[in-house]
Amino acid sequence: MAEGAVDAATVRPAPPDLLEVADESPETLFAMMEEHGWGDGLPIVFPSEERVERMLAGYPGPVDEVLAVLPPRSGAATVRTVAVNAVMAGCPPAVFPVIVAAVRALGVPQLNLQSVQATTHAVAIMVAVHGEIVESAGYNAGHGTFGPGWRANATTGRAIRLILLHVAGGYPGDGDASTQGQPAKYGFCFAENAAASPWPTYPRSLGIDAPSAVTIAGTEGPHNSHDMWSTSPTPILEKMATVMATLGSNNAPMPGAEFFCILCPEHAAQAAQAGWSRRDVQLYLYDRARLPWGLWREHFDWRYRGSPWASEVTDPATLMPIMDSPDLIKVMVAGGPGKHSCVIPSFGSMALSVTVPVETW
Amino acid sequence: MVRGLRPDGATTASQHTLAPPRRVLAGARIGVLDNNKPNAGLLMTTVAETLAARAHGPSPLVLGKNAALPATDEVMAQLRQQVDLVLTGSAD
Repeated sequence: MAEGAVDAATVRPAPPDLLEVADESPETLFAMMEEHGWGDGLPIVFPSEERVERMLAGYPGPVDEVLAVLPPRSGAATVRTVAVNAVMAGCPPAVFPVIVAAVRALGVPQLNLQSVQATTHAVAIMVAVHGEIVESAGYNAGHGTFGPGWRANATTGRAIRLILLHVAGGYPGDGDASTQGQPAKYGFCFAENAAASPWPTYPRSLGIDAPSAVTIAGTEGPHNSHDMWSTSPTPILEKMATVMATLGSNNAPMPGAEFFCILCPEHAAQAAQAGWSRRDVQLYLYDRARLPWGLWREHFDWRYRGSPWASEVTDPATLMPIMDSPDLIKVMVAGGPGKHSCVIPSFGSMALSVTVPVETW
Repeated sequence: MVRGLRPDGATTASQHTLAPPRRVLAGARIGVLDNNKPNAGLLMTTVAETLAARAHGPSPLVLGKNAALPATDEVMAQLRQQVDLVLTGSAD
């Protein structure tokens, strides 16, 4: 490096906090958002001081507390700024504790938000809600949990995206280099269906013993895995394994990457009726989600296979697990009646999910 | 008028100034920080070798990093100590 380089660390002052608009008509608000380069392209609720105060009502700490510093803009996500975005997204105050916890999770280093935001990959932030707050805040864990129709799911996912845009500065082409993006970047929130799950809740499986929790991960959208014919877990999970063992996802060249395998209640029940635990599901998927080593080498520089034993493999027909450990397979139950489960591939081994308790007030 | 609050807030970003450009390449020690994106190393190393040959400098120092993570402190220290300029930043 040439001598004379100067690194002057400075903190840029906050712009004036206040906005003023002539009225709250959609036309006025669209014009305001366009003027500032804000928003996701959809209509917003104007973040009046009164609405923001209602969102913050009862918050037990200082509202200027910085929950996380969000890249690439290095934006300070204060409780108040997060509330502004929650209002804009249309959130009811009941979901605000989830959003606060989720923003704290965005700042955990293992999530690697800098890379999640800036990559050319289509990664979105997945938000999974667990525990008592699912019912108390009105989240839909049943029919169409990933889809539209429920304010809590829709606005929580959207609020996180607005925060990633406004506070974090992840604008398409300027902070977010995603080649194509994906619909989940508008908002991606669902709820674990604990009532229909035969197993302990997902946070409990991680040792988090809190009444409510939220999981954040950088992922693709859900990939369907359909089986309406089988009455035992192995063919159901066999299909799921084939969805996992593909060459085009980031998981393929990165064996340290996570998969989220979201079983519908009926598939989960069939596994449980056969005596399978969540761990059994993980182990079976680990055993079956494999591709021939030779095929891998045709497609990827084998050095990407970070496993210490990978370089010892010589037979191209050897079946390689698509992930290093069954622990990387994250199993939850969500959705309603029917025989559709899904696999959610992730961004990669350099960005791992975070589950944190949700503190309510 | 209706009053509300901005959704972006303050930033804690550090501001960096660029190193002054090197006006003469003669004898320069050139480095490559390869982010391991496909062809990034090939492209940047080829450019570095071409520049080094023209400038009659030593062979380029090529070091690597994970594309999704910062370069390690060790790599950055090597670059600071051993080269005068670094080629980096090529993506997919």
